[in-house]
Amino acid sequence: MIRKQVVLLFALGLFTAGNAQAGFFDEVQKFVSPDTKEGKILSGATQVLSSAKDMDYPTELTIGESLALESMQRFGKPVAKESLQQYVNLVGNAVAANSKRPSIPYRFAVLDSPVQNAFAVPGGVIFISKSLVGIMENEAELAAVLAHEVGHVAGKHAISTIRRTQFLSGVGTITAASMKGDRGKQYESMIGDMQTVLFDKGLDKGMEFEADSAAMETLYRTGYDPRAMITVLKKLQKIEATSTKKGSWFSTHPPLDERIERLEAQLGKYPGAASLARVPQRFAKKVK
Amino acid sequence: MLKAVITAFALLLALTVTAAFAEEKRWVASDGTTLKKEASISSADLSSLPVGTELSVIESGGRWLKVKTSGGKEGWVYAGRVADAPPAAEVTGDAGLFGGTMQQSQIQTAKADSARSIRGLSPEATQYAKQRGTPELFRKELDKVLARKVSARDLKTFLRDGKIGEYAP
Repeated sequence: MIRKQVVLLFALGLFTAGNAQAGFFDEVQKFVSPDTKEGKILSGATQVLSSAKDMDYPTELTIGESLALESMQRFGKPVAKESLQQYVNLVGNAVAANSKRPSIPYRFAVLDSPVQNAFAVPGGVIFISKSLVGIMENEAELAAVLAHEVGHVAGKHAISTIRRTQFLSGVGTITAASMKGDRGKQYESMIGDMQTVLFDKGLDKGMEFEADSAAMETLYRTGYDPRAMITVLKKLQKIEATSTKKGSWFSTHPPLDERIERLEAQLGKYPGAASLARVPQRFAKKVK
Repeated sequence: MLKAVITAFALLLALTVTAAFAEEKRWVASDGTTLKKEASISSADLSSLPVGTELSVIESGGRWLKVKTSGGKEGWVYAGRVADAPPAAEVTGDAGLFGGTMQQSQIQTAKADSARSIRGLSPEATQYAKQRGTPELFRKELDKVLARKVSARDLKTFLRDGKIGEYAP
């Protein structure tokens, strides 16, 4: 009798727990089946994740360095003002230390370009154009754009776009020897494809929203006013009509009003945001 | 007898729940995090906490958390420097992918970076530049970008001067 009651008691416990999880397991089931829409999304997502995860850091940085060489030729070389470059590295490293990937080294450089643009290459090299810095009013706005780019590096967004490239099939690490002959051609073609994504087509919309959201979170954790991410986008919105679109943040990113709307919804997560640092004086001194 | 069984079951359940929720965990998520004696940036440093260190929260004091390390050390950390989930490990060239711990892999990444800053552009990227006929000027410019390092001390001074984060009044 007692044994029966004990069994019943355990069964009741399991049922209660099971019931609470039923909805969750129903959802999981959808993802397990390869025929459902969710299943297809998952199989794609797994490939992205395993590819980006399998690439070691030196390989990621080599790809980043190759892209950095191409991007400087396309947008212009770094400005010669060393104090500005050092300042941007301090702001960038301040936010990178509080990003989702704080343990790799990050480098930042201001490029002498008339196009409003900022971009990150894999491995943590991040560029921002002089003209984009020029529309900003304070350090928090500069931190916001740099934190957005750090978000792309942390999310390994650029790398995940090349997951099906011929060069990477069966290769975990790039060596100087593997850069020669046919493999070298495949590598060049891969870098070419990445340039098209980063500088012409732009990354997936979802990746941009993720980088915006990560930037706001990183600003808050660092101690900068997270509203700066919104104010800098609003400044871009004001000049959008009269600005060069090709290769800029306007052409490679989702519409500004959609980004602003999402960020405004996120702002509620950050109590006391208005009291956090914006540092306009130091910014003016270093940049102007 | 039945009462005793029910009581024992309830106790077992309560113990399981208590064990799961008694200690609120946090993980160090920011580079350059320090365990402080008091909830203030001006108080003494007890030790530095590498990224990924697991901490148990003892008390929350607004922007600061009183925590205990697995080694039993108690102190305060700035709340912005910890996260409620462990950070992802880095994949490095040698050990990271196959059995290297997260901390090891992060140390290796740092070592790889020191080596890189001495030699500049990687041999692989240099080979790529050669094949592409990239002008020497751009290789030199990228070398300069890669060589520009920010030390932990520079960063602390920068945050203090700007009254940012834990240095805010």
